[in-house]
Amino acid sequence: MLNIDKKINGNVLTVALTGRLDTTTAPELEAELKENLDGVTELIIDMGTLEYISSAGLRVLLSAQKIMSKQGAMTVTHVSETIMEIFEVTGFSDILTIV
Amino acid sequence: MKVIKGLKIGGLQSKIFNLVLIFIVALIAAYSGVLVVHQKNLTNIVREASEQQQAAIETVTEETMAAVLNSSLTRSTALQAYIADDLFADVRADVLTLQAFAEELFAHRDSFAAHPVSAPSLANDGVPAVMLIHEEAVDPADSESLGLVANMSEIMLAMYEASDNLASVFVGTADGNMVLVNDRSGIYIAEDGSPLPLDIRHRPWYTQAAEAGELIFTGVELDAYTDNPMLECAAPVYHNGELVAVVSADVYLSSISDYVNSTASEGNFVCVVNADGQIIFSPATEGVFQAKVSSEAGDLRESESQTLADFVTQALRESTGLREISVDGKVYYASGVPLPTVGWAVLSIVDKTLTDQPTELMLDNYDQINDNALSTYEDGAHRASQTIIFLTIILFLMAITGALVVGKRIVKPLEQLTKRINSQLKGGAAFTMDDSYRTGDEIEVLAEAYADVTKRTQNYIQEIITITAEKKRIGTELALATRIQADMLPNIYPAFPDRPEFDIYATMDPAKEVGGDFYDFFLIDDDHLGLVMADVSGKGVPAALFMMVSRILVQNYAMTGRSPAEVLKAVNDQICSNNREEMFVTVWFGVLDIRTGKITAANAGHEYPAMMLTNGQFELVKDKHGFVIGGMEGIRYKEYELQLTPGSRLFLYTDGVPEATDARSEMFGTDRMLAALNIDPNAAPETILKNVRAAVDGFVKEAEQFDDLTMLCVEYKGKDNEGTI
Repeated sequence: MLNIDKKINGNVLTVALTGRLDTTTAPELEAELKENLDGVTELIIDMGTLEYISSAGLRVLLSAQKIMSKQGAMTVTHVSETIMEIFEVTGFSDILTIV
Repeated sequence: MKVIKGLKIGGLQSKIFNLVLIFIVALIAAYSGVLVVHQKNLTNIVREASEQQQAAIETVTEETMAAVLNSSLTRSTALQAYIADDLFADVRADVLTLQAFAEELFAHRDSFAAHPVSAPSLANDGVPAVMLIHEEAVDPADSESLGLVANMSEIMLAMYEASDNLASVFVGTADGNMVLVNDRSGIYIAEDGSPLPLDIRHRPWYTQAAEAGELIFTGVELDAYTDNPMLECAAPVYHNGELVAVVSADVYLSSISDYVNSTASEGNFVCVVNADGQIIFSPATEGVFQAKVSSEAGDLRESESQTLADFVTQALRESTGLREISVDGKVYYASGVPLPTVGWAVLSIVDKTLTDQPTELMLDNYDQINDNALSTYEDGAHRASQTIIFLTIILFLMAITGALVVGKRIVKPLEQLTKRINSQLKGGAAFTMDDSYRTGDEIEVLAEAYADVTKRTQNYIQEIITITAEKKRIGTELALATRIQADMLPNIYPAFPDRPEFDIYATMDPAKEVGGDFYDFFLIDDDHLGLVMADVSGKGVPAALFMMVSRILVQNYAMTGRSPAEVLKAVNDQICSNNREEMFVTVWFGVLDIRTGKITAANAGHEYPAMMLTNGQFELVKDKHGFVIGGMEGIRYKEYELQLTPGSRLFLYTDGVPEATDARSEMFGTDRMLAALNIDPNAAPETILKNVRAAVDGFVKEAEQFDDLTMLCVEYKGKDNEGTI
């Protein structure tokens, strides 16, 4: 289960994720982002309460990263150790801006 | 529902039937109630009207009777006045005058000469005349007083001529002679011309006056010559205490008689009774009230009827007022008034049946009419009730028939509907609307709704059949795809029976029919074995397709002899050149130098491999990671080397193993994985995989396999072992 809590402040979109970002829930986040990314120059993905991310979730992050590379910047915050390990294993730590 | 003769008990038809029945019964009850009340009212009205009318009749008849009686009494009074004042009083005065004159003559007889008087003459018949009448045995010439009393001739003649009521005026002498004045000379003359004698001193007027010694009225006597009823008033004349003559006048009673006769009507008349209680004038032709000559008439005062006797006795004395008398079994109302002048009485007699008769008659008539009316009414009521019963029966039958017909009309489409639905349920044709359901009421709506539902259900069924068929087809295809995918990967073991330097074993269990994981191993040349472990983002068919491409690309580039880093870079570039779906794949690719046991590898975002060196324990190799393949173009990968000694084992896996999740969402993790590997680290690769799989299954238990589960284990046996197996 994934809970997506998004806040728009001008051109800054903050998306806080809670739960598991996996094959089942990844399409939800993908749809949310697709809807809200227009005109956003800064995307902040808060992973403070995210428990797990699967390859499907990584794919959504990659897509978002690619879009944001064109129209601004994307940062990933409050990454837990478990998630960080996944990022490192998959090499995502190299392409994501992790704060 | 029970069915009796086609009528379903408890069905709509029977409900309608019951409703109509209740309605009819209520209607009949109400109608009967109204009828009974109405009839009772009508009877009361008739009875009250009857009583009122009877009372009215009695009142009217009483008034009528009173009027009749009053009228009779009035007439009696009038008669009394007439007789007393006008007639008898005049006669009485005349006779008294004559008496006085006669006594004067006798008292001074020396002063008067004898006055001549002649016998009746036919020449005088029809004109008032003075004539001499004498007894048969008497000679007028011998008379001493005849000449004297003849001096009264002139006054007598004058008296006679002056009165309409006097039939005769005369004076009889004590010696049997009589001077008579009237206009009927002819009746006193015999056929031979000689005068007719008269027994003067034996006539009632003479004897009664002589006997009474004063003025008297005789009874009604028939005229000696004419038989006409008449009354005589007579008075004796005395000289020196001796009767010398009787003066008298005859009174015509025709006027009284006429009057009395005129009163005669049915049971109502006036009669006159004289001082002796004898009826002297009466219109009655029979019975006690009939008038008779004095010799024949009885004295009513001595009547056998006490009431009559008492009444007459009182009437001769005083006015009686209204009395009720009964004579010969008949009852009369009677009223009497005395006539003091003559000592008579006037009686008014009214037959009681006359007064009662109208009442009784009218009551009888009325009862008759009432009975007729009542019987007519009863006949009418009877006919009306018969008609009502008839109409009620007709109405009842019509209502029942109507209820059955209407019920049938309502129920029939429903029955048909039910039949059709049942037959449809048994696999019959689809329900369609037709005219038999177009009843214009809820049934039509129901039928339409049902037709609509049926149509939609059919569409759904068709859709489901199509979908099911499609699903089946897809399932078949997916099963085929699963086989194809499995067959694509090397899966025949021992994989390289002629290569004793190493043993290799791998499995792939997709979470769905097809998976995005894959492993691969292939000999690049005699000395180099390519090892691939990869995991495509996502699962299912898209991942499977992407996996197939990735596998072929990796193998193809590997077969060119490029280094692992170069292979991954080439594959990445190739995939990124056309990856609109932004899918990616993590790949661990290594090349084992079979001769030396050295592995050159590159890791594109894949899990850490686990390695066990000779007689040691499996441990994760924290190698250097590059980015996933397909994520970004132009990525360069770093290579690293691992040195396997004989007996060493390398374990490759996808994230499906450490991320296998139990029911409580806890992940299996690499620690458990290493523990499973180290249960029997020196076992053959196939056993090692089985151990891991068993551990994963034991951990996950009943939870659904979430991700593809792919493992590969290679055991390096070393060049020295060549040919030993």
